Amino acid sequence: MSENYKFDTLSLHAGHIPDKETGSRAVPIYQTTSYVFNSTEEAASLYNMEVGGHLYTRISNPTVAALEQRLAALEGGASALACSSGMAAMHLVVSAICSSGDHIVASSKMYGANINLLQHTMPRFGVKTDFVNPNDPDAIKRAIKPNTKLVFGEVIGNPGLDIMDVPEIAKICNSKNIPLVLDATFNTPYLMQPFKYGANIIVHSLTKWLGGHGIAMGGAVVNGGNFDWGDKDKFPTISGPHFALGGISFWEEFGPSALIAKIRAEGMYNFGPSLSPTNAFHLMQGIETLPLRMKKHIENTHSILDFLVNHEMVEWVKHPDLDTHPDHEVAKRILPKGSGSIIAFGIKGGREAGKAFIESVQLASHLANVGDAKTLLIHPGSTTHSHLSSEAMKEGGLTDDMIRLSVGLEDINDIKKDFERGFKAVKKLNK
Amino acid sequence: MIINFKGVKTYIGTGGKSLDINKMTLCFLHGSGQNHLSFIQQARFFAYKGYSVIVPDMPAHGFSDGNPCKSIKENAEWINDLLVDLKLKEVVVIGHSQGCLVALELNRILKRSLEALIFVAGSNEIPVNQFLLDLSKENSQKASQMMVTWGHGIDGDMSINKWPGHSHYGEGNNIMCMNKPTALRYDLHSCNDYSDGIDAAKIIKVPALAVLAKNDQMTPLKSGLKFVELIKNCETHILDCGHFLPSERPIELNSIINSFLSKLK
Ligand SMILES: Cc1ncc(COP(=O)(O)O)c(C=O)c1O
Repeated sequence: MSENYKFDTLSLHAGHIPDKETGSRAVPIYQTTSYVFNSTEEAASLYNMEVGGHLYTRISNPTVAALEQRLAALEGGASALACSSGMAAMHLVVSAICSSGDHIVASSKMYGANINLLQHTMPRFGVKTDFVNPNDPDAIKRAIKPNTKLVFGEVIGNPGLDIMDVPEIAKICNSKNIPLVLDATFNTPYLMQPFKYGANIIVHSLTKWLGGHGIAMGGAVVNGGNFDWGDKDKFPTISGPHFALGGISFWEEFGPSALIAKIRAEGMYNFGPSLSPTNAFHLMQGIETLPLRMKKHIENTHSILDFLVNHEMVEWVKHPDLDTHPDHEVAKRILPKGSGSIIAFGIKGGREAGKAFIESVQLASHLANVGDAKTLLIHPGSTTHSHLSSEAMKEGGLTDDMIRLSVGLEDINDIKKDFERGFKAVKKLNK
Repeated sequence: MIINFKGVKTYIGTGGKSLDINKMTLCFLHGSGQNHLSFIQQARFFAYKGYSVIVPDMPAHGFSDGNPCKSIKENAEWINDLLVDLKLKEVVVIGHSQGCLVALELNRILKRSLEALIFVAGSNEIPVNQFLLDLSKENSQKASQMMVTWGHGIDGDMSINKWPGHSHYGEGNNIMCMNKPTALRYDLHSCNDYSDGIDAAKIIKVPALAVLAKNDQMTPLKSGLKFVELIKNCETHILDCGHFLPSERPIELNSIINSFLSKLK
């Protein structure tokens, strides 16, 4: 019977039904590198991409495939591919679509490694990027050139929390026949499904909220299947002849799943950023409770926002769900369930105050990750950006009093109490 | 490959190999609102087994231009002309769903004999409910989504796929969206209006194979079983899946077709 299961059900079930032999309810961890072929014919048909199946875990694996199919179902995509990290996913997409001489338009307000890859690494391979303000669809339109092969941005930017107007930008990309690629790490499909707003490709760091417990690295590319790659001159790597497999055209033979087929046949084959089956299992465990966790993440975030906005020791608070945020209206429109659980705030007393706060809290962990079930904090001014002057930090959109907070699932009063401990230390310092 | 057929750009999938008219050719006919991509896992498989393969995108479907055919008869005549145009010699026709009706009709009007007929999730009649007929006119995208949901068995609901990472629903919807918006409406009406299936089935003289789906909600198993009774000596198999059998059970289907074909040689 066809049921068209809803999001919460798919989070638990998509990608796996118990097999008849073992009845294993959980997705088994297929901790294997390779698979026995029943015949030389079967082996050949897998190598030739005649039919689906597994031949070597660098290319695909049954546990990883269950995760991929769960992600495809949750995003409403045609197909998905999981890999070793969010950055691996990003590189797989860029390298599948772009070649030397090509151009990318990207948001200027993104996670450092996303910026670095496009600003410093890809130009060495002849792929240049123009960075534009993600809140300015006209600027994106103006930056598109005849050799632009994709537009890239983060739905919710890290760490500035700028919100992209996805439907507006998708319209522009669509009219120019350029795929819109979005990093949807901070929203997850629970808060917003970018394909519904016209995006074409999604990149995830599964390390964050999707996995949700800070125990396993992982990334994914989800392919909307809604982009026409048919222009052979513009997208020769997807619709032109491939260097192997008898000169296959992925677009002609796999249509909506052409991009994923290309990434498996080239990116996974030749670069090899495969996800370990055990990590795929851990990430899937996380996804099972994604809807519950995201609901609580948002509840706690809203409560902490109230607390911080009204706190005498807090200079400023930034979150798209606050009406003081410049992108509040866009956030309300495309992220009605909430715009994620990252908050940026400034403590009265500048860099030293930030440092004192971080060193005095007990429950919140001081570390470099986000999206854990536990509350996490970092003070860029005394860690990642400690070598920069206040002025230099400002140029990068950061201030030296800024704390980045990833709100966890603890009892909200315990988090508030913990923060009071931090504020008390700052007060002492300010005296 | 893309050819100019009757003055219209026409795409024909060949499974990644070039067409050799001297080999036995397998001609795959897609179902309502589908295109060559409904045979992703058959086209390459049989092309790499040494057959010539053609999977035409019917007019207004997939990568083909033109206007959709308006009846099963018109579809069959179009295929008949294509087979002549391509100068094919030995041809086995494999239909899925609506493609089965087209195959039946083609067999009736052909001047010469086919090598064999293969029916996948087919019947001699495919009545379409009025709600879907109306919806395909008003909102073909929504009608496509409903067909994709109804058309798959539990593997669709649960995103289970032999092809790692692929989603039956996501892929199925986008395959249907590649067609011109009017294609689905004419296809569904063609199916609903076709009433010559019983006569067409009774006159089949060539070897015939039917692969039916246990949980088929588009061409129910009951109807498929009545249909095969009309055909003389039709080898029949039933697989545990939904209507989109070629993508739900590709390995099993390919293996059944492969052994049927080996008996022809
Ligand atoms: C928005 C965003 N995208 C991508 C990444 C990279 O993910 P990973 O660490 O899994 O490579 C991160 C990591 O912090 C991130 O915040």
